[in-house]
Amino acid sequence: MKLSVMQENLARGLQVVSRAVSSRSALPVLANVLLRTEDAGLKLTATNLEIGISYWVPGKIDVDGALTVPARLMADVVNSLPSGERVDLDLENPTTLRIRGGRHQAHLRGIDAEEFPVIPSAGDRPTTRISQKALRRALSEVIFAAASDEARPILTGVLTRFSGDQVTLAAADNYRIAVKTLSSLDPVEETSVVVPARSYAELVRVLADSDDPVDIMLAQSRSQIVFHLEGVDLVSRLIDGQFPNYQQVLPTSFSTRAVVEREEMLKAVRLSALIASSAANVVKLRLEGNGTGAVGISAAADIGETQGEVEAGLEGEGVTVAFNARYLQEALQNVDADQLALEFTGPLSPGVVRPIGDDDYVHVIMPVRTPS
Amino acid sequence: MRRMTGPTILHVDLDAFFAAVEQRDRAELRGKPVIVGGGGPNDRGVVSTASYEARVFGVRSAMPLRTAGRLCPHGIFVPVDGAKYARVSRQVMAILRRFTPRVEQVSIDEAFLDVAGSAALFGSAESIAAAIKSAIRDELELTASVGVGGSKLVAKVASDLHKPDGLVVVPVGEEASFLAPLPISRLWGVGPQTRKVLGEYGVATIGDLASLPEDLLQRRLGKHGRELLSRARGIDASPVGDDAEAKSVSHEHTFDVDTGDWEILERTLLGLAEGVAERLRKGGVKAGTIGVKVRDQDFVTLTRQRTLPEPTDLPETIWQTAVDLARREVRGVLVRLIGIAASNLSDREQLGLFAEAEGRKRKAIEAADAIRGRFGPRAITRARLLETDVAAPFERDFSHAPEAKRVGKQRPGGHAEDDS
Repeated sequence: MKLSVMQENLARGLQVVSRAVSSRSALPVLANVLLRTEDAGLKLTATNLEIGISYWVPGKIDVDGALTVPARLMADVVNSLPSGERVDLDLENPTTLRIRGGRHQAHLRGIDAEEFPVIPSAGDRPTTRISQKALRRALSEVIFAAASDEARPILTGVLTRFSGDQVTLAAADNYRIAVKTLSSLDPVEETSVVVPARSYAELVRVLADSDDPVDIMLAQSRSQIVFHLEGVDLVSRLIDGQFPNYQQVLPTSFSTRAVVEREEMLKAVRLSALIASSAANVVKLRLEGNGTGAVGISAAADIGETQGEVEAGLEGEGVTVAFNARYLQEALQNVDADQLALEFTGPLSPGVVRPIGDDDYVHVIMPVRTPS
Repeated sequence: MRRMTGPTILHVDLDAFFAAVEQRDRAELRGKPVIVGGGGPNDRGVVSTASYEARVFGVRSAMPLRTAGRLCPHGIFVPVDGAKYARVSRQVMAILRRFTPRVEQVSIDEAFLDVAGSAALFGSAESIAAAIKSAIRDELELTASVGVGGSKLVAKVASDLHKPDGLVVVPVGEEASFLAPLPISRLWGVGPQTRKVLGEYGVATIGDLASLPEDLLQRRLGKHGRELLSRARGIDASPVGDDAEAKSVSHEHTFDVDTGDWEILERTLLGLAEGVAERLRKGGVKAGTIGVKVRDQDFVTLTRQRTLPEPTDLPETIWQTAVDLARREVRGVLVRLIGIAASNLSDREQLGLFAEAEGRKRKAIEAADAIRGRFGPRAITRARLLETDVAAPFERDFSHAPEAKRVGKQRPGGHAEDDS
């Protein structure tokens, strides 16, 4: 292997793939990045067996070849080389990489490329394509609702259902659920997979804020999903199992509705959370019957209490509902709209958050039962 | 109506409770050294309670029965009758509640009372203390020692001062001079480590401690040093919490024969988890943290705890967590005592989206609760717990473990670690 690349391109590529490097694995090779010449460029690959990321660095290839080297060390070395200059890579011997940039050079001992797991790459034909911008926005509104503990592994994933030219994303832990529907560019036969929320979080990092599409491919075996962008492949394993039937828990009606400014509401909940977090982290929302034009937000604990109000357009009956402050806060932070509708059916029924002007998103939070 | 200006906090502590109950019920035991706990001096258990006659020989609670047998060869060993003591304990607590609802039961045989609001009805704290003592004597034929003070700390120290059948009142303002001549071991929170540090400064009495400069204590003992100094001066702001504010629920079991048999330990934990879960459900609370306590044959006590992803009152979750925590601690040791504590209690319940699976389990458990409520605690149990003896918790089962810790019920060699 003998090639030349630009320092900043190599550094950027190492930064992107390092997100998939396994820091503590029984397999030492997973702490490494695979360097392989491919398609007249240098392909960098890292994987932790849940997710794999490949990145193509444009360059001038003199001799083809492959080797894995410690990913973190390689990134640190390359970051220390002069930027805007050429970096030359070659093999000093079959398992030692020589890196030269400017008047500096380094030698890194690696592990044979044969030991690196095989990562499926994008085939010729994508299953479908979605606008990067639209997918990025949709994922940001959904993935935070996935469970972070492994008590029910299926809930650490995001249900991804393709149906015609619609893609539905749903994430839930035991207490809340976020559902978003968006359009794909190519119709797909109805199919559902569950993608780890962590993989989607990495995908969000590489998606651009542009209308360029990302290609999505379901591997033949149905055990992996591949996302292909210009110069980047992201492969994720899928989670086995049946995602809960979320449709039946989405409320279809309400008895109280308030329309609020998202920012104002978020500030008020944050304030109450300061007090709430010292105890059970519960904040109460009080909506008076028709007329008052405000939502009351309060919290009480041994350490103190807070009350506040946010201007609101109200309809329906008065109600007081208690929620975990964190769930409320995360919904208010992540839903992409200036105005939100909050819908309630009673103190022990799910609360619904809907962005005004976007019928394709719904967020449901279960309340907290408080002693009366 | 004026509020009381004198001390209003009482600490009521029954004298040699288990032994006294046995002596009351069995005339032949009166005036004899009675040792409650297990079968006899060859048994592997520990002393639950020794009568005052046995204490003369140096027999103490938590001492191995064999040691007690050696110290007191003529001692009469009586097995623990947990159900009976629990019944008598309830009668005692009922007497206390006649005088104030502000009763904080600390363990089966002691409680704090705050009688600040009871003056108009029952007179001063001292006369209430006397009335409580005579009611317990007349109605239950037992004696209690009562301490009266301006704080729980002072009341507790006072009740302990003239045992048995004592009544000690510490007037407001005289806390420091009351405590000063007493040895520091009377103060709770003074363990071997602290005593060693204090020893370097020649501290023997609480008064010695109170006269040390605050910055010195702060430097040597940190935050604990400052707290100690306050306590030595008789300052303790902790309120009498009524029973609704239990901070934790714990059950523990001492084996008749120390055991390293994992199957037995697992089954014991299941019985304890059942008991803890039932108490949580009765109290309408869920626990966010589960802890286990393991004491080995050398009396080394370890506690481990873990915070759950979500609070629970279900026995399976408590049991699985306890088993997981205990597994690492019991390897290669013989276990003398094992216990489960549920803490971080809350009566707020986060409702779930997909609760069907748990819902069925809960219905089964609630049905079993109802059967036990009607036909008694043994009416229905798990098959795995048949033929075992752990489901009924009794011995010195502090109904509120952290509270018990606050009043200085420290077990020998105990230290806590948190792996959460």
